[in-house]
Amino acid sequence: MNPKKQLLLIEDERNICNFIMTTLKSNGYKVISALNAETGLSLAASQCPDLILLDLGLPDMDGIEVIRKIRSWGNLPIIVISARTQEREKVEALDAGADDYITKPFGTSEMMARVRTALRRSTSGSGQRSSDQNRYIAGNLVIDYEKHIITIDGEIIHFTQIEYKILTYLSRNAGRVITYDSLISHVWGPFADSNNRILRVNMANIRRKLENNPADPQYIFTEIGIGYRMIDNENQ
Amino acid sequence: MKLKKLSNLIITLSCLAAATALAFLFFHLVPNNGSNIALIYILALIIIVRFTDGYLPGVFSSVVAVICVNFLFTYPYFALNFTLAGYPITFLEMLAVTLFVSTMTTHMKEQAKLIAERDKLLSEAEKEKMRANLLRAVSHDLRTPLTGIIGASSSYLENHDALTESEKNAIVTHIQEDANWLLNMVENLLSVTRIYNRSTKVKKTDESVEEVVSAAMLRLKKRIPDAQVGVSVPDELLIIPMDAILIEQVLLNLLENAIIHSQSREPILCYVEDNDKTVSFHVKDFGIGIAEDRVRDIFDGAPYIGSTESDSNKGMGIGLSICKTIITAHDGSINVRNHEQGAEFYFSLPKERPPHES
Repeated sequence: MNPKKQLLLIEDERNICNFIMTTLKSNGYKVISALNAETGLSLAASQCPDLILLDLGLPDMDGIEVIRKIRSWGNLPIIVISARTQEREKVEALDAGADDYITKPFGTSEMMARVRTALRRSTSGSGQRSSDQNRYIAGNLVIDYEKHIITIDGEIIHFTQIEYKILTYLSRNAGRVITYDSLISHVWGPFADSNNRILRVNMANIRRKLENNPADPQYIFTEIGIGYRMIDNENQ
Repeated sequence: MKLKKLSNLIITLSCLAAATALAFLFFHLVPNNGSNIALIYILALIIIVRFTDGYLPGVFSSVVAVICVNFLFTYPYFALNFTLAGYPITFLEMLAVTLFVSTMTTHMKEQAKLIAERDKLLSEAEKEKMRANLLRAVSHDLRTPLTGIIGASSSYLENHDALTESEKNAIVTHIQEDANWLLNMVENLLSVTRIYNRSTKVKKTDESVEEVVSAAMLRLKKRIPDAQVGVSVPDELLIIPMDAILIEQVLLNLLENAIIHSQSREPILCYVEDNDKTVSFHVKDFGIGIAEDRVRDIFDGAPYIGSTESDSNKGMGIGLSICKTIITAHDGSINVRNHEQGAEFYFSLPKERPPHES
Protein backbone atom coordinates (compact mmCIF):
# COMPACT_ATOMS: atom_id res chain seq x y z
CA MET A 1 0.00 0.00 0.00
CA ASN A 2 1.17 3.54 -0.72
CA PRO A 3 2.04 5.83 2.20
CA LYS A 4 -0.52 5.56 4.94
CA LYS A 5 -3.55 7.79 4.54
CA GLN A 6 -4.11 10.09 7.46
CA LEU A 7 -7.63 10.55 8.76
CA LEU A 8 -8.92 13.10 11.23
CA LEU A 9 -11.75 12.10 13.55
CA ILE A 10 -13.74 14.84 15.28
CA GLU A 11 -16.02 13.22 17.85
CA ASP A 12 -16.78 14.21 21.44
CA GLU A 13 -17.84 10.81 22.82
CA ARG A 14 -14.71 9.09 24.09
CA ASN A 15 -16.12 5.56 23.75
CA ILE A 16 -17.17 6.04 20.16
CA CYS A 17 -13.93 7.82 19.42
CA ASN A 18 -11.92 4.89 20.76
CA PHE A 19 -13.77 2.28 18.79
CA ILE A 20 -13.57 4.18 15.52
CA MET A 21 -9.86 4.82 15.99
CA THR A 22 -9.17 1.16 16.76
CA THR A 23 -11.05 0.07 13.66
CA LEU A 24 -9.36 2.57 11.37
CA LYS A 25 -5.90 1.79 12.72
CA SER A 26 -6.37 -1.95 12.33
CA ASN A 27 -7.36 -1.28 8.73
CA GLY A 28 -4.06 0.43 8.06
CA TYR A 29 -4.89 4.13 8.38
CA LYS A 30 -3.18 6.75 10.47
CA VAL A 31 -5.70 8.49 12.70
CA ILE A 32 -5.59 11.70 14.67
CA SER A 33 -8.56 12.72 16.78
CA ALA A 34 -10.10 15.80 18.32
CA LEU A 35 -12.77 15.91 21.00
CA ASN A 36 -14.20 19.28 19.98
CA ALA A 37 -14.66 21.43 16.92
CA GLU A 38 -12.01 23.99 17.77
CA THR A 39 -9.15 21.49 18.08
CA GLY A 40 -10.55 19.65 15.11
CA LEU A 41 -10.45 22.73 12.90
CA SER A 42 -6.91 23.64 13.88
CA LEU A 43 -5.74 20.03 13.35
CA ALA A 44 -7.45 19.97 9.98
CA ALA A 45 -5.59 23.11 8.94
CA SER A 46 -2.17 22.12 10.32
CA GLN A 47 -2.09 18.39 9.47
CA CYS A 48 -3.94 18.41 6.15
CA PRO A 49 -5.53 14.98 6.62
CA ASP A 50 -6.77 12.97 3.62
CA LEU A 51 -10.27 12.69 5.05
CA ILE A 52 -12.29 14.01 7.97
CA LEU A 53 -14.86 12.04 9.94
CA LEU A 54 -17.07 14.58 11.67
CA ASP A 55 -19.71 14.05 14.31
CA LEU A 56 -22.50 16.60 13.88
CA GLY A 57 -23.37 16.88 17.56
CA LEU A 58 -20.30 18.64 18.92
CA PRO A 59 -20.46 20.60 22.15
CA ASP A 60 -18.75 23.80 21.06
CA MET A 61 -19.90 24.39 17.49
CA ASP A 62 -22.64 23.43 15.10
CA GLY A 63 -21.45 20.64 12.81
CA ILE A 64 -22.75 22.45 9.72
CA GLU A 65 -20.63 25.44 10.69
CA VAL A 66 -17.55 23.19 10.93
CA ILE A 67 -18.19 21.88 7.40
CA ARG A 68 -18.52 25.43 6.03
CA LYS A 69 -15.31 26.50 7.75
CA ILE A 70 -13.38 23.58 6.29
CA ARG A 71 -14.91 24.08 2.84
CA SER A 72 -13.84 27.72 2.91
CA TRP A 73 -10.22 26.65 2.44
CA GLY A 74 -10.10 23.05 1.30
CA ASN A 75 -11.76 20.36 -0.72
CA LEU A 76 -10.79 17.30 1.30
CA PRO A 77 -13.52 14.70 1.76
CA ILE A 78 -15.73 14.98 4.84
CA ILE A 79 -17.88 12.14 6.11
CA VAL A 80 -20.52 13.16 8.59
CA ILE A 81 -21.64 10.95 11.49
CA SER A 82 -25.23 11.52 12.53
CA ALA A 83 -28.28 9.91 14.15
CA ARG A 84 -30.97 8.32 12.06
CA THR A 85 -34.04 10.43 12.65
CA GLN A 86 -32.38 13.75 11.89
CA GLU A 87 -32.71 13.65 8.13
CA ARG A 88 -32.99 17.44 7.97
CA GLU A 89 -29.58 17.76 9.54
CA LYS A 90 -28.06 15.27 7.12
CA VAL A 91 -29.44 17.12 4.11
CA GLU A 92 -28.06 20.39 5.46
CA ALA A 93 -24.67 18.82 6.01
CA LEU A 94 -24.57 17.37 2.49
CA ASP A 95 -25.69 20.64 0.97
CA ALA A 96 -23.04 22.47 2.98
CA GLY A 97 -20.40 20.35 1.27
CA ALA A 98 -20.07 17.09 3.19
CA ASP A 99 -19.32 14.16 0.89
CA ASP A 100 -21.27 11.46 2.64
CA TYR A 101 -22.74 10.45 5.95
CA ILE A 102 -22.91 7.41 8.19
CA THR A 103 -25.88 6.85 10.42
CA LYS A 104 -25.27 6.13 14.08
CA PRO A 105 -24.95 3.38 15.14
CA PHE A 106 -22.99 1.79 12.33
CA GLY A 107 -21.03 -1.39 11.78
CA THR A 108 -17.32 -1.25 11.11
CA SER A 109 -17.67 -2.70 7.61
CA GLU A 110 -20.13 0.02 6.63
CA MET A 111 -17.82 2.71 7.94
CA MET A 112 -14.80 1.29 6.14
CA ALA A 113 -16.71 1.08 2.86
CA ARG A 114 -17.66 4.76 3.11
CA VAL A 115 -14.14 5.78 3.98
CA ARG A 116 -12.69 3.85 1.02
CA THR A 117 -15.27 5.30 -1.39
CA ALA A 118 -14.62 8.85 -0.23
CA LEU A 119 -10.83 8.47 -0.41
CA ARG A 120 -10.96 6.90 -3.86
CA ARG A 121 -13.13 9.68 -5.19
CA SER A 122 -10.85 12.36 -3.88
CA THR A 123 -7.75 10.79 -5.49
CA SER A 124 -9.40 9.98 -8.81
CA GLY A 125 -10.94 13.44 -8.97
CA SER A 126 -7.62 15.22 -8.59
CA GLY A 127 -5.38 12.77 -10.33
CA GLN A 128 -5.21 11.30 -13.78
CA ARG A 129 -8.34 10.43 -15.63
CA SER A 130 -7.83 6.95 -16.97
CA SER A 131 -9.76 5.80 -20.00
CA ASP A 132 -11.59 3.37 -17.73
CA GLN A 133 -13.28 6.37 -16.17
CA ASN A 134 -15.44 6.59 -19.25
CA ARG A 135 -17.45 3.65 -18.10
CA TYR A 136 -19.50 2.76 -15.09
CA ILE A 137 -19.92 -0.92 -14.33
CA ALA A 138 -21.98 -2.51 -11.56
CA GLY A 139 -23.27 -6.05 -11.82
CA ASN A 140 -24.84 -6.40 -15.25
CA LEU A 141 -25.19 -2.68 -15.75
CA VAL A 142 -22.75 -0.76 -17.92
CA ILE A 143 -22.94 2.96 -18.62
CA ASP A 144 -20.72 4.15 -21.44
CA TYR A 145 -20.40 7.91 -21.03
CA GLU A 146 -18.64 8.44 -24.35
CA LYS A 147 -21.11 6.59 -26.49
CA HIS A 148 -24.11 7.58 -24.37
CA ILE A 149 -25.14 3.94 -24.15
CA ILE A 150 -26.55 2.07 -21.20
CA THR A 151 -26.69 -1.72 -21.31
CA ILE A 152 -27.90 -4.47 -19.02
CA ASP A 153 -26.60 -7.95 -19.83
CA GLY A 154 -25.24 -6.47 -23.04
CA GLU A 155 -28.67 -5.32 -24.14
CA ILE A 156 -29.16 -1.65 -24.86
CA ILE A 157 -31.80 0.08 -22.72
CA HIS A 158 -33.33 3.33 -23.93
CA PHE A 159 -33.63 6.23 -21.57
CA THR A 160 -35.01 9.71 -22.09
CA GLN A 161 -32.70 12.71 -22.01
CA ILE A 162 -33.68 13.54 -18.42
CA GLU A 163 -33.38 9.96 -17.25
CA TYR A 164 -29.93 9.69 -18.81
CA LYS A 165 -28.87 12.91 -17.10
CA ILE A 166 -30.03 11.61 -13.73
CA LEU A 167 -28.28 8.29 -14.24
CA THR A 168 -24.96 9.79 -15.26
CA TYR A 169 -25.00 12.19 -12.33
CA LEU A 170 -25.78 9.41 -9.85
CA SER A 171 -23.29 6.99 -11.37
CA ARG A 172 -20.47 9.52 -11.55
CA ASN A 173 -21.06 9.97 -7.83
CA ALA A 174 -21.63 6.29 -7.23
CA GLY A 175 -21.39 5.11 -3.65
CA ARG A 176 -22.33 8.47 -2.23
CA VAL A 177 -25.72 9.90 -1.46
CA ILE A 178 -27.03 12.69 -3.69
CA THR A 179 -29.67 14.94 -2.16
CA TYR A 180 -32.95 15.62 -3.97
CA ASP A 181 -32.10 19.29 -4.28
CA SER A 182 -28.68 18.77 -5.76
CA LEU A 183 -30.05 16.23 -8.22
CA ILE A 184 -32.86 18.57 -9.26
CA SER A 185 -30.59 21.56 -9.70
CA HIS A 186 -28.10 19.47 -11.67
CA VAL A 187 -30.67 18.00 -14.05
CA TRP A 188 -33.23 20.77 -14.39
CA GLY A 189 -30.98 23.74 -13.62
CA PRO A 190 -30.55 25.89 -10.52
CA PHE A 191 -33.87 27.67 -10.87
CA ALA A 192 -36.00 24.59 -11.17
CA ASP A 193 -38.98 24.13 -8.90
CA SER A 194 -37.78 22.22 -5.87
CA ASN A 195 -41.00 20.21 -5.81
CA ASN A 196 -39.55 16.76 -6.22
CA ARG A 197 -42.62 15.02 -7.60
CA ILE A 198 -41.25 15.13 -11.13
CA LEU A 199 -37.99 13.68 -9.85
CA ARG A 200 -39.93 10.85 -8.20
CA VAL A 201 -41.72 10.09 -11.43
CA ASN A 202 -38.47 10.00 -13.39
CA MET A 203 -36.85 7.81 -10.75
CA ALA A 204 -39.81 5.43 -10.92
CA ASN A 205 -39.39 5.16 -14.70
CA ILE A 206 -35.66 4.57 -14.39
CA ARG A 207 -36.29 1.89 -11.78
CA ARG A 208 -38.71 0.10 -14.06
CA LYS A 209 -36.18 0.01 -16.87
CA LEU A 210 -33.18 -0.83 -14.70
CA GLU A 211 -34.26 -3.01 -11.84
CA ASN A 212 -35.72 -6.49 -11.85
CA ASN A 213 -37.93 -5.59 -8.91
CA PRO A 214 -38.53 -1.89 -8.24
CA ALA A 215 -39.39 -2.71 -4.62
CA ASP A 216 -36.06 -4.41 -4.06
CA PRO A 217 -33.55 -2.50 -6.20
CA GLN A 218 -29.97 -3.56 -6.88
CA TYR A 219 -28.55 -0.41 -8.41
CA ILE A 220 -30.15 2.72 -7.03
CA PHE A 221 -31.12 2.94 -3.38
CA THR A 222 -33.41 5.46 -1.73
CA GLU A 223 -32.32 7.18 1.44
CA ILE A 224 -35.65 8.29 2.85
CA GLY A 225 -35.95 12.04 3.24
CA ILE A 226 -32.45 12.64 1.86
CA GLY A 227 -31.83 11.44 -1.65
CA TYR A 228 -30.48 8.56 -3.74
CA ARG A 229 -27.36 6.48 -3.66
CA MET A 230 -26.13 4.47 -6.63
CA ILE A 231 -24.16 1.31 -6.02
CA ASP A 232 -20.36 1.64 -6.22
CA ASN A 233 -18.61 1.58 -9.56
CA GLU A 234 -16.73 -1.71 -9.93
CA ASN A 235 -14.63 -0.27 -12.72
CA GLN A 236 -12.04 1.48 -10.56
CA MET B 1 -70.55 36.75 29.78
CA LYS B 2 -71.32 40.24 28.59
CA LEU B 3 -70.76 39.12 25.05
CA LYS B 4 -73.16 36.26 25.60
CA LYS B 5 -75.86 38.65 26.81
CA LEU B 6 -75.29 40.94 23.85
CA SER B 7 -75.55 38.08 21.38
CA ASN B 8 -78.73 36.85 23.14
CA LEU B 9 -80.20 40.31 22.73
CA ILE B 10 -79.20 40.58 19.10
CA ILE B 11 -80.60 37.15 18.22
CA THR B 12 -83.84 37.85 20.04
CA LEU B 13 -84.43 41.25 18.47
CA SER B 14 -83.50 40.21 14.95
CA CYS B 15 -85.70 37.11 15.06
CA LEU B 16 -88.64 39.14 16.32
CA ALA B 17 -88.05 41.77 13.67
CA ALA B 18 -87.86 39.14 10.96
CA ALA B 19 -91.04 37.49 12.20
CA THR B 20 -92.86 40.82 12.29
CA ALA B 21 -91.75 41.62 8.77
CA LEU B 22 -92.87 38.24 7.53
CA ALA B 23 -96.17 38.59 9.35
CA PHE B 24 -96.76 41.98 7.71
CA LEU B 25 -96.17 40.41 4.33
CA PHE B 26 -98.66 37.66 5.05
CA PHE B 27 -101.12 40.07 6.53
CA HIS B 28 -101.21 42.15 3.34
CA LEU B 29 -101.08 39.30 0.85
CA VAL B 30 -103.53 36.94 2.50
CA PRO B 31 -106.28 38.73 4.39
CA ASN B 32 -107.96 37.18 7.43
CA ASN B 33 -105.18 34.80 8.21
CA GLY B 34 -104.65 35.30 11.95
CA SER B 35 -103.59 31.73 12.67
CA ASN B 36 -100.66 31.88 10.22
CA ILE B 37 -99.39 35.01 11.89
CA ALA B 38 -99.45 33.36 15.29
CA LEU B 39 -97.58 30.38 13.85
CA ILE B 40 -94.89 32.61 12.40
CA TYR B 41 -94.32 34.08 15.82
CA ILE B 42 -94.19 30.67 17.41
CA LEU B 43 -91.57 29.59 14.89
CA ALA B 44 -89.54 32.68 15.73
CA LEU B 45 -89.89 31.88 19.45
CA ILE B 46 -88.56 28.36 18.94
CA ILE B 47 -85.60 29.64 16.95
CA ILE B 48 -84.82 32.25 19.60
CA VAL B 49 -84.95 29.71 22.39
CA ARG B 50 -82.74 27.29 20.52
CA PHE B 51 -79.99 29.80 19.87
CA THR B 52 -79.93 31.74 23.12
CA ASP B 53 -79.08 30.82 26.71
CA GLY B 54 -81.40 30.94 29.70
CA TYR B 55 -85.12 31.52 30.00
CA LEU B 56 -85.19 35.31 29.83
CA PRO B 57 -85.00 35.76 26.04
CA GLY B 58 -87.78 33.22 25.52
CA VAL B 59 -90.17 34.71 28.03
CA PHE B 60 -89.42 38.23 26.89
CA SER B 61 -90.05 37.38 23.26
CA SER B 62 -93.27 35.53 23.96
CA VAL B 63 -94.62 38.63 25.72
CA VAL B 64 -93.46 40.78 22.81
CA ALA B 65 -95.00 38.35 20.32
CA VAL B 66 -98.36 38.38 22.07
CA ILE B 67 -98.37 42.15 22.21
CA CYS B 68 -97.38 42.39 18.55
CA VAL B 69 -100.10 40.05 17.45
CA ASN B 70 -102.61 41.98 19.44
CA PHE B 71 -101.35 45.44 18.55
CA LEU B 72 -100.54 44.99 14.88
CA PHE B 73 -102.53 42.18 13.47
CA THR B 74 -105.87 41.96 15.28
CA TYR B 75 -108.71 44.36 15.04
CA PRO B 76 -108.66 47.13 16.24
CA TYR B 77 -105.29 47.68 14.60
CA PHE B 78 -102.59 49.69 16.40
CA ALA B 79 -104.40 49.43 19.70
CA LEU B 80 -104.16 47.02 22.56
CA ASN B 81 -107.35 45.19 23.32
CA PHE B 82 -107.08 42.27 25.69
CA THR B 83 -110.80 41.77 25.99
CA LEU B 84 -111.03 40.00 22.65
CA ALA B 85 -112.64 36.59 22.88
CA GLY B 86 -110.17 33.77 23.46
CA TYR B 87 -107.31 36.16 23.65
CA PRO B 88 -105.98 35.12 27.09
CA ILE B 89 -105.84 31.55 25.79
CA THR B 90 -103.64 32.52 22.81
CA PHE B 91 -101.37 34.36 25.19
CA LEU B 92 -101.11 31.43 27.58
CA GLU B 93 -100.48 29.03 24.73
CA MET B 94 -97.63 31.07 23.39
CA LEU B 95 -96.09 31.42 26.81
CA ALA B 96 -96.43 27.69 27.45
CA VAL B 97 -94.82 26.76 24.13
CA THR B 98 -91.93 29.09 24.79
CA LEU B 99 -91.30 27.87 28.31
CA PHE B 100 -91.57 24.26 27.27
CA VAL B 101 -89.20 24.58 24.34
CA SER B 102 -86.70 26.64 26.25
CA THR B 103 -86.59 24.13 29.13
CA MET B 104 -86.04 21.39 26.61
CA THR B 105 -83.23 23.11 24.70
CA THR B 106 -81.49 24.22 27.88
CA HIS B 107 -81.59 20.65 29.05
CA MET B 108 -80.36 19.44 25.68
CA LYS B 109 -77.45 21.87 25.69
CA GLU B 110 -76.43 20.82 29.17
CA GLN B 111 -76.50 17.18 28.13
CA ALA B 112 -74.38 17.84 25.08
CA LYS B 113 -71.87 19.68 27.23
CA LEU B 114 -71.75 16.80 29.70
CA ILE B 115 -71.22 14.27 26.95
CA ALA B 116 -68.43 16.30 25.40
CA GLU B 117 -66.71 16.59 28.77
CA ARG B 118 -67.03 12.88 29.42
CA ASP B 119 -65.63 12.11 25.97
CA LYS B 120 -62.68 14.33 26.63
CA LEU B 121 -62.01 12.66 29.96
CA LEU B 122 -62.30 9.25 28.35
CA SER B 123 -59.85 10.04 25.57
CA GLU B 124 -57.43 11.49 28.12
CA ALA B 125 -57.74 8.30 30.13
CA GLU B 126 -57.25 6.29 26.96
CA LYS B 127 -54.08 8.20 26.16
CA GLU B 128 -52.86 7.83 29.72
CA LYS B 129 -53.52 4.11 29.57
CA MET B 130 -51.62 3.80 26.30
CA ARG B 131 -48.69 5.66 27.76
CA ALA B 132 -48.67 3.51 30.89
CA ASN B 133 -48.84 0.34 28.80
CA LEU B 134 -46.00 1.58 26.68
CA LEU B 135 -43.83 2.35 29.70
CA ARG B 136 -44.60 -1.02 31.22
CA ALA B 137 -43.75 -2.78 27.99
CA VAL B 138 -40.56 -0.76 27.61
CA SER B 139 -39.22 -1.53 31.05
CA HIS B 140 -40.20 -5.15 30.73
CA ASP B 141 -38.52 -5.42 27.37
CA LEU B 142 -35.41 -3.43 28.19
CA ARG B 143 -34.47 -5.51 31.19
CA THR B 144 -34.01 -8.75 29.28
CA PRO B 145 -31.25 -7.67 26.86
CA LEU B 146 -29.60 -5.50 29.49
CA THR B 147 -29.36 -8.47 31.82
CA GLY B 148 -27.77 -10.39 28.98
CA ILE B 149 -25.27 -7.66 28.19
CA ILE B 150 -24.24 -7.06 31.79
CA GLY B 151 -23.98 -10.77 32.53
CA ALA B 152 -22.03 -11.62 29.39
CA SER B 153 -19.60 -8.73 29.70
CA SER B 154 -18.82 -9.38 33.36
CA SER B 155 -18.40 -13.06 32.70
CA TYR B 156 -15.94 -12.16 29.95
CA LEU B 157 -13.96 -9.83 32.21
CA GLU B 158 -13.94 -12.11 35.25
CA ASN B 159 -13.20 -15.40 33.52
CA HIS B 160 -11.00 -14.00 30.84
CA ASP B 161 -8.20 -16.50 31.29
CA ALA B 162 -10.37 -19.59 31.68
CA LEU B 163 -12.40 -19.06 28.52
CA THR B 164 -11.48 -20.59 25.20
CA GLU B 165 -11.31 -18.43 22.11
CA SER B 166 -14.62 -19.75 20.76
CA GLU B 167 -16.36 -19.19 24.10
CA LYS B 168 -15.14 -15.61 24.08
CA ASN B 169 -16.47 -15.19 20.58
CA ALA B 170 -19.84 -16.57 21.61
CA ILE B 171 -20.07 -14.17 24.53
CA VAL B 172 -19.24 -11.12 22.43
CA THR B 173 -21.67 -12.24 19.75
CA HIS B 174 -24.40 -12.41 22.37
CA ILE B 175 -23.55 -8.94 23.56
CA GLN B 176 -23.77 -7.70 20.02
CA GLU B 177 -27.14 -9.35 19.42
CA ASP B 178 -28.62 -7.92 22.58
CA ALA B 179 -27.22 -4.49 21.84
CA ASN B 180 -28.70 -4.58 18.34
CA TRP B 181 -32.02 -5.51 19.82
CA LEU B 182 -31.80 -2.57 22.23
CA LEU B 183 -31.01 -0.27 19.33
CA ASN B 184 -34.11 -1.47 17.52
CA MET B 185 -36.20 -0.64 20.56
CA VAL B 186 -34.67 2.79 21.01
CA GLU B 187 -35.29 3.67 17.36
CA ASN B 188 -38.90 2.69 17.79
CA LEU B 189 -39.22 4.87 20.86
CA LEU B 190 -37.56 7.74 19.05
CA SER B 191 -40.10 7.53 16.26
CA VAL B 192 -42.86 7.91 18.83
CA THR B 193 -41.31 11.12 20.13
CA ARG B 194 -41.47 12.35 16.54
CA ILE B 195 -45.22 12.04 16.77
CA TYR B 196 -45.71 13.42 20.26
CA ASN B 197 -43.57 16.42 19.38
CA ARG B 198 -46.13 17.42 16.80
CA SER B 199 -49.14 16.90 19.07
CA THR B 200 -50.15 13.46 17.74
CA LYS B 201 -50.30 14.50 14.10
CA VAL B 202 -47.46 13.77 11.75
CA LYS B 203 -45.85 16.04 9.21
CA LYS B 204 -46.73 14.54 5.85
CA THR B 205 -44.96 15.02 2.57
CA ASP B 206 -45.73 13.37 -0.75
CA GLU B 207 -43.65 10.21 -0.93
CA SER B 208 -43.26 7.46 -3.45
CA VAL B 209 -44.53 4.18 -1.99
CA GLU B 210 -41.98 1.97 -3.72
CA GLU B 211 -39.12 4.05 -2.38
CA VAL B 212 -40.34 3.64 1.16
CA VAL B 213 -40.77 -0.10 0.70
CA SER B 214 -37.33 -0.48 -0.83
CA ALA B 215 -35.74 1.61 1.93
CA ALA B 216 -37.35 -0.64 4.53
CA MET B 217 -36.04 -3.69 2.66
CA LEU B 218 -32.55 -2.22 2.65
CA ARG B 219 -32.59 -1.67 6.38
CA LEU B 220 -34.01 -5.13 6.96
CA LYS B 221 -31.20 -6.72 4.97
CA LYS B 222 -28.66 -4.76 6.96
CA ARG B 223 -30.13 -6.11 10.17
CA ILE B 224 -30.97 -9.65 9.12
CA PRO B 225 -28.71 -10.39 6.15
CA ASP B 226 -30.26 -13.78 5.33
CA ALA B 227 -33.86 -12.53 5.45
CA GLN B 228 -36.05 -14.12 2.76
CA VAL B 229 -38.69 -11.67 1.57
CA GLY B 230 -40.69 -11.72 -1.65
CA VAL B 231 -41.52 -8.05 -2.17
CA SER B 232 -43.61 -6.40 -4.85
CA VAL B 233 -45.24 -3.04 -5.60
CA PRO B 234 -47.88 -2.04 -8.18
CA ASP B 235 -46.65 -1.21 -11.66
CA GLU B 236 -48.07 2.25 -11.44
CA LEU B 237 -46.12 4.76 -9.35
CA LEU B 238 -48.01 5.62 -6.16
CA ILE B 239 -47.32 8.89 -4.41
CA ILE B 240 -49.17 9.46 -1.14
CA PRO B 241 -48.76 11.86 1.78
CA MET B 242 -46.93 10.40 4.79
CA ASP B 243 -44.01 10.75 7.14
CA ALA B 244 -41.79 8.32 5.26
CA ILE B 245 -39.34 7.71 8.10
CA LEU B 246 -42.19 6.54 10.31
CA ILE B 247 -43.85 4.35 7.67
CA GLU B 248 -40.48 2.79 6.94
CA GLN B 249 -40.22 2.02 10.65
CA VAL B 250 -43.66 0.37 10.64
CA LEU B 251 -42.76 -1.79 7.66
CA LEU B 252 -39.45 -2.74 9.22
CA ASN B 253 -41.16 -3.71 12.49
CA LEU B 254 -43.73 -5.87 10.71
CA LEU B 255 -41.13 -7.57 8.52
CA GLU B 256 -38.81 -8.20 11.42
CA ASN B 257 -41.63 -9.56 13.56
CA ALA B 258 -42.69 -11.85 10.76
CA ILE B 259 -39.17 -13.23 10.42
CA ILE B 260 -38.44 -13.60 14.10
CA HIS B 261 -41.79 -14.71 15.48
CA SER B 262 -43.37 -16.79 12.75
CA GLN B 263 -41.00 -19.69 13.58
CA SER B 264 -40.84 -20.61 9.94
CA ARG B 265 -38.16 -20.46 7.27
CA GLU B 266 -40.64 -19.85 4.47
CA PRO B 267 -40.04 -16.52 2.71
CA ILE B 268 -42.17 -13.63 3.93
CA LEU B 269 -44.42 -11.88 1.41
CA CYS B 270 -44.57 -8.10 1.37
CA TYR B 271 -46.81 -6.39 -1.15
CA VAL B 272 -48.65 -3.14 -1.75
CA GLU B 273 -52.21 -2.80 -3.05
CA ASP B 274 -53.68 0.24 -4.73
CA ASN B 275 -57.26 0.62 -3.51
CA ASP B 276 -59.89 3.19 -4.29
CA LYS B 277 -59.14 5.75 -1.59
CA THR B 278 -56.28 4.10 0.25
CA VAL B 279 -53.03 2.27 -0.33
CA SER B 280 -52.59 -0.88 1.72
CA PHE B 281 -49.34 -2.56 2.73
CA HIS B 282 -49.31 -6.27 3.55
CA VAL B 283 -46.76 -8.42 5.37
CA LYS B 284 -47.67 -12.08 5.20
CA ASP B 285 -45.79 -14.91 6.87
CA PHE B 286 -46.23 -18.67 6.64
CA GLY B 287 -45.59 -19.58 10.24
CA ILE B 288 -47.47 -20.42 13.41
CA GLY B 289 -49.98 -17.58 13.15
CA ILE B 290 -51.28 -15.44 16.00
CA ALA B 291 -53.15 -16.98 18.95
CA GLU B 292 -56.84 -16.09 18.58
CA ASP B 293 -57.00 -14.41 22.01
CA ARG B 294 -54.15 -12.12 20.97
CA VAL B 295 -55.59 -10.94 17.66
CA ARG B 296 -57.83 -8.39 19.32
CA ASP B 297 -55.33 -6.63 21.60
CA ILE B 298 -52.01 -7.37 19.90
CA PHE B 299 -51.55 -3.67 19.06
CA ASP B 300 -52.30 -2.44 22.58
CA GLY B 301 -48.75 -2.60 23.82
CA ALA B 302 -49.42 -4.74 26.87
CA PRO B 303 -46.59 -7.21 27.36
CA TYR B 304 -47.68 -10.71 26.64
CA ILE B 305 -47.83 -12.70 29.86
CA GLY B 306 -48.50 -16.01 28.22
CA SER B 307 -48.04 -19.41 29.80
CA THR B 308 -45.37 -20.44 27.33
CA GLU B 309 -42.36 -18.91 25.61
CA SER B 310 -42.94 -15.44 26.98
CA ASP B 311 -39.38 -14.50 26.19
CA SER B 312 -39.49 -15.52 22.56
CA ASN B 313 -42.19 -12.89 22.31
CA LYS B 314 -40.05 -10.13 23.70
CA GLY B 315 -40.43 -6.83 22.00
CA MET B 316 -43.30 -7.81 19.80
CA GLY B 317 -45.75 -5.89 21.97
CA ILE B 318 -43.98 -2.60 21.91
CA GLY B 319 -43.08 -2.65 18.25
CA LEU B 320 -46.68 -3.26 17.30
CA SER B 321 -48.10 -0.67 19.65
CA ILE B 322 -45.74 1.84 18.07
CA CYS B 323 -46.90 0.76 14.62
CA LYS B 324 -50.46 1.43 15.70
CA THR B 325 -49.57 4.84 17.10
CA ILE B 326 -47.85 5.78 13.85
CA ILE B 327 -50.64 4.55 11.58
CA THR B 328 -53.34 6.18 13.70
CA ALA B 329 -51.47 9.47 13.52
CA HIS B 330 -51.63 9.09 9.73
CA ASP B 331 -55.45 8.63 9.84
CA GLY B 332 -54.91 5.09 8.64
CA SER B 333 -55.73 1.69 10.10
CA ILE B 334 -53.68 -1.37 11.00
CA ASN B 335 -54.90 -4.93 11.46
CA VAL B 336 -53.90 -8.53 11.72
CA ARG B 337 -55.59 -11.71 10.58
CA ASN B 338 -54.70 -15.37 10.37
CA HIS B 339 -54.79 -17.01 6.97
CA GLU B 340 -54.56 -20.73 6.33
CA GLN B 341 -50.81 -20.93 6.69
CA GLY B 342 -49.80 -18.14 8.99
CA ALA B 343 -50.42 -14.54 9.93
CA GLU B 344 -50.90 -11.40 7.88
CA PHE B 345 -50.37 -7.89 9.15
CA TYR B 346 -51.67 -5.11 6.97
CA PHE B 347 -52.16 -1.37 7.20
CA SER B 348 -53.67 1.21 4.91
CA LEU B 349 -53.01 4.90 4.43
CA PRO B 350 -55.36 7.45 2.87
CA LYS B 351 -54.34 8.70 -0.58
CA GLU B 352 -55.56 12.21 0.01
CA ARG B 353 -54.87 14.57 2.83
CA PRO B 354 -57.88 15.25 5.04
CA PRO B 355 -59.25 18.71 4.14
CA HIS B 356 -58.17 20.36 7.39
CA GLU B 357 -54.51 19.69 6.62
CA SER B 358 -54.17 21.07 3.15
